[in-house]
Amino acid sequence: MTAIRADDISKDYGEVHALDGLSLTVDSGEFFGLLGPNGAGKTTTIQLLTGQLVPDAGTMEVLGVDPAAEPVEVRRNVGILPEQESPPSFLTPREYFDFVGTVRDLDREVLLDRVDTWTDRLDFAEKLDTLNTDLSRGQQQKVMLTATFLHEPAAVFIDEPLVNLDPIMQERVKRYLEGYVDNGNAIFLSTHDIEVAERLCSHVGIVREGRLVAERKPGSLSDGESLLDTFVADVEGGATL
Amino acid sequence: MSADRRVTATLLPVMIREEWRLHSTLFGGRRFAVFPVLIALASAGMVWLLVFTGTAPATIALWLHLLVFAFGLYTGSVGLIGRDGMRDLLGDLSLVLFSARTLPLSQRRLLGTFLVKDIIYYAVLFLVPLTVAYAPAAATAGDLARLPLLWLTLTGTFVVGLVVTFSAISARTRGRAGTAVLLAGAVLVGLAWATGINLLDWLPYGFYNGAGGVTPAVGFLATLGIAAVGLAAFDPTSESTSRTTGPDLLRWQRRLRYDSDGLVAKSLIDVARSSGGVWKVVFSGAILFAVTAGLVELVETITGLEPSTGLSFGAVLGLTSFTTYNWVTQFDDPDTYLHHPIATAAVFEAKFRSFLVLGLPTVLGYYLLAVGLWGERALVAVAGGVLVVGLSIYLFGLTVALTGLEPNTFLFDTARFAAFSIGSAVPLVPVLIVGFVVEPSPGLLALLAATGVVLGLGGVGLFRWSVPRWTERFRMG
Repeated sequence: MTAIRADDISKDYGEVHALDGLSLTVDSGEFFGLLGPNGAGKTTTIQLLTGQLVPDAGTMEVLGVDPAAEPVEVRRNVGILPEQESPPSFLTPREYFDFVGTVRDLDREVLLDRVDTWTDRLDFAEKLDTLNTDLSRGQQQKVMLTATFLHEPAAVFIDEPLVNLDPIMQERVKRYLEGYVDNGNAIFLSTHDIEVAERLCSHVGIVREGRLVAERKPGSLSDGESLLDTFVADVEGGATL
Repeated sequence: MSADRRVTATLLPVMIREEWRLHSTLFGGRRFAVFPVLIALASAGMVWLLVFTGTAPATIALWLHLLVFAFGLYTGSVGLIGRDGMRDLLGDLSLVLFSARTLPLSQRRLLGTFLVKDIIYYAVLFLVPLTVAYAPAAATAGDLARLPLLWLTLTGTFVVGLVVTFSAISARTRGRAGTAVLLAGAVLVGLAWATGINLLDWLPYGFYNGAGGVTPAVGFLATLGIAAVGLAAFDPTSESTSRTTGPDLLRWQRRLRYDSDGLVAKSLIDVARSSGGVWKVVFSGAILFAVTAGLVELVETITGLEPSTGLSFGAVLGLTSFTTYNWVTQFDDPDTYLHHPIATAAVFEAKFRSFLVLGLPTVLGYYLLAVGLWGERALVAVAGGVLVVGLSIYLFGLTVALTGLEPNTFLFDTARFAAFSIGSAVPLVPVLIVGFVVEPSPGLLALLAATGVVLGLGGVGLFRWSVPRWTERFRMG
């Protein structure tokens, strides 16, 4: 079943062509990674698919909803972890989770139970009542990760989810994400980290200058062939789909 | 050249260049460059109006000094925004001011240079145009030759205002001892005023009004001394680095009732927990209250007419909307909520309600204080009360319509500042003239109260009209 679909979407910022006819499909139970050099259009793609921006052209559908027409509905259904976004400075993590629970209309008991699970998983229970602005970058990332998954959405968009986490936490998050996809959910990952994509993703799209120039299945690479080599070749070699 | 001087000689030009780039990048170089022209035109209009109403040029010069003093007081509140506030005020910008963490520079040196940069900026961008605007009035009084002196004394007055606020905030970072010093200073000034000492003579204005050179020179040297002590005492790290607190969001949300998504509660918590707490809102209002009080006293001294407390305070205090708007929009923006299922319109609505909760009680509190201190007839007090509420809502609606939810963008965006100046002057100037110089009849009071209601409704209308426009703009990227 298709969870995320983009058909020929384009987006310009003035003279800058951020996306130029990008098309892709992500199925439920699929871990999709979007790779590309800086400024290739990865963040814009996520912003369009989650209704944060409207495209200049093209159509999209996420879990059966058109993000351009129903942006709030799409955001109700999915989870979003923006790159380098901090939780609200003057709330504590506990208050932020209360806030997320309120806007997502989560049952109170369910919310508290999931917060417990996540604070155990990422080991930050003792920071629940500290102002977010006083947390380290890594702790803030734990808060953002927790908030993304609290409502257990069927699809998530995550931009560099492991940034600022220590190796142990990175490993825990990777295992969680693998299990999450195994349960039939879809993950749309944007990253520069080829090793992460190679380990986690079942399907990778390579974007360059606003266009999807190649799609790869990391599990299907031949012996001796790495995703990094493929990526460099696709980006520098001028591959086109 | 010593290493210290070399560092200062490098820092200051870099900060000035950075300031220019910051504003010219945000608003466009040409738009920013014409900002002083706009200031000159707006000020010239104000001076012309005062001359037209028979105000003496010397009185106008005094008013200019008072206005600049108030502006200095406001600018000095940079100290209110400590460690966290700077980042929230200026967004993710990386400024030289923040380089103490990575370069061998002290926070105090950086802050001191930053304040000097601010003084240079305002002296050139605001005070030169203000002085030029006064030129026609000076010419009629045969006083053109003293224009450079006026600019110098205005600059000195701005410095005094800035130093007073900054030093007060600096003292507060030093706990009870600092607060005691602050209170002692306030008591000293109060005693001097009560014993009939003319405080104006001790300000740079004394140079201009012919009070001799010694008194204002002593006053200014004392100001520089206070500035040095303020800088030395300022402790930007006085806040705890790991502040904990109980969960308040849901409690606040329940108390507010009409806050289904918690956005109003969050906005209010942001203001309450950021540096300065809710006191910064009270402080901003206090500056405007003091300015109005000064104007009321001045008008009475000069014209012999007793201005209407209710109408004059009712008109001027409405301007606190602008500062309250800044406080409630400073700690987030609509983008912040784009990864939640929250419509941009809901964010705007929440900011409006936050303003009503925070701003209206503040402005009404000051209004009632004025009525209590200076007295007012019941009918006039009611009309002034309706006016202050209506004007506050109108100015908030106007500000949101012009800026979305971006704080502080006005200050150097010429087009938006011009639109705001016109939009606020149209209702404010007639009301001020009535408040200061006309004896209000019952009919006039009814008209003014009706104007207050119309302005309030107009403010809500402007707000509602602008929300879809801003929502569309955010979504187009």
